[in-house]
Amino acid sequence: MKSATVSHDAPSPRAPAVGIGWRHPHYAELLETQPALDFIEVHSENFFAPGGAARAVLREGRASYPVSLHGVGLSLGSASGIDEWHLDQLERLVDEIDPVRISDHASFARGVLPGAHGPATVHAADLLPVPFSREALDVMCANVQRVQDRLRRPIAVENLSAYLRWQDADMSETQFLTTLAQRTGCSLLVDVNNIYVNALNAQLLGEPGAPLEACREWLDQIPGAAVAEIHLAGHIHCGDIVIDDHGSRVSEAVWTLYRHAIARFGAVPTLIEWDTGVPPLSVLLDEATRAREGATAALRPTPSGASAPVEALA
Amino acid sequence: MNALAQQQQALLGTLLALPGSAQAADAVTALRALVHSPWARGLAAYQANGHELAERSLRAAYPVVAALVGGDSFATMACELWHRHPPVRGDLACWGDALPAFVDHNPQLADVPYLADVARVEWALHRAAGAPDAGADPASFPLLTQADPATFTLRLAPGTAVVTSDWPVASLVTAHLYEDPSLAVAAGRVQARAAECARVWRQGLRPRIAACTRAESALLQAVVRGRSLLASLNEALAVDAGFDLGQWLPDAVTQGLVLGTGPLESTP
Repeated sequence: MKSATVSHDAPSPRAPAVGIGWRHPHYAELLETQPALDFIEVHSENFFAPGGAARAVLREGRASYPVSLHGVGLSLGSASGIDEWHLDQLERLVDEIDPVRISDHASFARGVLPGAHGPATVHAADLLPVPFSREALDVMCANVQRVQDRLRRPIAVENLSAYLRWQDADMSETQFLTTLAQRTGCSLLVDVNNIYVNALNAQLLGEPGAPLEACREWLDQIPGAAVAEIHLAGHIHCGDIVIDDHGSRVSEAVWTLYRHAIARFGAVPTLIEWDTGVPPLSVLLDEATRAREGATAALRPTPSGASAPVEALA
Repeated sequence: MNALAQQQQALLGTLLALPGSAQAADAVTALRALVHSPWARGLAAYQANGHELAERSLRAAYPVVAALVGGDSFATMACELWHRHPPVRGDLACWGDALPAFVDHNPQLADVPYLADVARVEWALHRAAGAPDAGADPASFPLLTQADPATFTLRLAPGTAVVTSDWPVASLVTAHLYEDPSLAVAAGRVQARAAECARVWRQGLRPRIAACTRAESALLQAVVRGRSLLASLNEALAVDAGFDLGQWLPDAVTQGLVLGTGPLESTP
């Protein structure tokens, strides 16, 4: 069973709840070994099927851990609106699993394309960026509100790694997300790796400024009270582009930014994500331990009573 | 159409329209005017991700088709299906149902004439894996001897489906998934063009497949359509006058295929 030092529901007063993404290679091992984790996260869509083994294994996981349901397919930014079918499946899953949090992305994937037999609705199965325009904000607010009304609870919306940038922009990404939270009452899910990937790609495109400094400014523009969860993951530098592939350990730069985020936002629940080339469970648990230690250090009071000063960002 | 819808249509069209088509070219032209340059590398990242997802999702649903076609050809097939029949839902487990018909109409696959039926069996297995749970109801079986069989029907396992084929589809699938029969035996049955029906169901949490007779196939298809036990039995007897329900039923119950009896839900 779990370690005596960390319970699921009551992490030590200064440490945030820390969880890992629970993926297929670790279904059995996690259930058998029940490592000390404050929650587990799954991709909601992987458990939409109403019956069978997947749903059964999630019920088992839920019996041992709080579950954070993280979606990748709601398409909250879609001008075509939310797919009623998708919302139905999510609602049933939420009703059964009673998740500790529900989240999806500030992205779109669903839309209408002209076809030989007339317009057809499609879903690109990706996290495509929306412009930071008033129109896109209005659409996302309406979609988020619709989801929250149906689920009868707030959801958290995650910032993206974006590989295209729309010309149409009335505001910054942080203004977009902050206003979204203010208008809908949704929370924000801050993916620190995504911020860093975007900053690295901006650097590759010749934008001035140091990536870490840009990320720190990004984090400083987000109201801490709105942040419900933090995500940490690895990325891959391909030379001409950096991809958020969730396929390696969290980089040192992202750990630095994580400590900065925790110092600013407080003990926000933190998730270690790993989706490509999933390593042994022990590696994820090791990353979770590092997150807990890093957060604890970032929250340690200084002699003056404040949290530890934010370290220099080289 | 408002500006946001135009932006989204341009990006979706660029990612999902058939490469080389006029629609794809129009979408790229539209997108170029809407995004900051340089954009080609970012767009390529999204395209590559889509193609990887397509292959991975399709392989999860169709492992036997993937083995029969081979790695590179399967990746090409997945890519083409992605563009010709793109996903419509945000759950990729729903995508891929168009593969059997796509294979049927693909002249490049004419040398594997059983492939489409194998795909039909695999899609049935894929759907059965996540079908709504249902448990056995032994207390309902006395209805078999107490009521008019025109007034009730059989309750089948989650995901029950039947595929009838002119090829040994059940043998091909089980040979690849469970090595039963061996691949050599399955190949021999293809050579002999041995027709088979495959029945698919879920026993507990495990999707299952087995060859079945054409009479059993007729019975199950009728029950799946909601027909009464009597009407379903008559369809089986029309195929094979010697079909013996009393002999078939105990095995079907033991294998978890028949869970019980139940009322008719629609007019037979």
